[in-house]
Amino acid sequence: MAFYIRTAGLTFRIEPNFSTIERYCAGYTCPADEAAINASVTLDEIEAERASAVKAALSEGRSAEFTQAQLEILTVHKKISEVIPKYGAFLFHGSAVEVDGEAYVFTAKSGTGKSTHAALWRKKFGERAVMINDDKPFILIRDGRAFACGSPWNGKHRLGSDLTVPVKAVYLLNRGNINKVYNIKKSEAFPSLYEQTYRPDDPGMLAKTLILLDKLASTAKLYRLYCNMQPEAADTAYEALEDRS
Amino acid sequence: MKLNREFVTHSTENEHITVATGKSSFTGMLRSNQTAGFIIEQLKHETTEEEIAAALFAEYDAPEDVIKRDVHAVIEKLRSIGAIDE
Repeated sequence: MAFYIRTAGLTFRIEPNFSTIERYCAGYTCPADEAAINASVTLDEIEAERASAVKAALSEGRSAEFTQAQLEILTVHKKISEVIPKYGAFLFHGSAVEVDGEAYVFTAKSGTGKSTHAALWRKKFGERAVMINDDKPFILIRDGRAFACGSPWNGKHRLGSDLTVPVKAVYLLNRGNINKVYNIKKSEAFPSLYEQTYRPDDPGMLAKTLILLDKLASTAKLYRLYCNMQPEAADTAYEALEDRS
Repeated sequence: MKLNREFVTHSTENEHITVATGKSSFTGMLRSNQTAGFIIEQLKHETTEEEIAAALFAEYDAPEDVIKRDVHAVIEKLRSIGAIDE
């Protein structure tokens, strides 16, 4: 039986092949909606995804054994990510946390420490901080503003919530012995932001993605953050927002 | 010659950007100044190196040999990332 999920301000209809995906999407399901976008995939599409899933897993040193049920989760995510630029959203690789109603997004190559840094923010702010999505938030552009959105696809620790929060700042993370933060211009940040943005297979969707990413980069504060894994790293990052110099 | 259909451009305030879809092996971002961006834009329809040089010569105040060299360099760069259909 089909089920419906809501993410990135949109509703998707999923006719599952395996029950795993419905459990995976728990917390994001919503009532049936005639206007929902179809995100169902066929067994052929699932198998077609296997090669790229294996390649990605090996590059990150993870197990490359996938059941079809696991691949269905990845394939549906890809299908959604392919179509959402049409509706003003795109998939971004990063950890997004909400503090006092605003979203802070930490982005970097896998293994740099995005999730670790987000965890430091949760420690610093306690209940004031809520994880939006620890790995792959959708970024929605609406009324000229960028919003970080929760989705079921939120990383191996499954940290996130069904939230849509205006983005205050994006931090490009680099490991460093000493915590340091620099305000950077859009032109400096853009290649790194693009590197962590999902590239659709369709040229039209890619063109839309660039326009949306440009909007994110134009409206959010942009920082390059060198950080270690000590609690002070979160202080350094957050204090940059106060610095008006 | 023409820009391969998997390649997409984007213009910001002072930069021209060329990227490729998930189907292409080129995962990077080619950042160009105004002149190189002009050359890439010419490749959105079927053209030749000579035609692009002529269009650039009409647009910019620069010696013809400099223009020809620039056009060639940009096209070679695009070729190296698989962005040119011959």
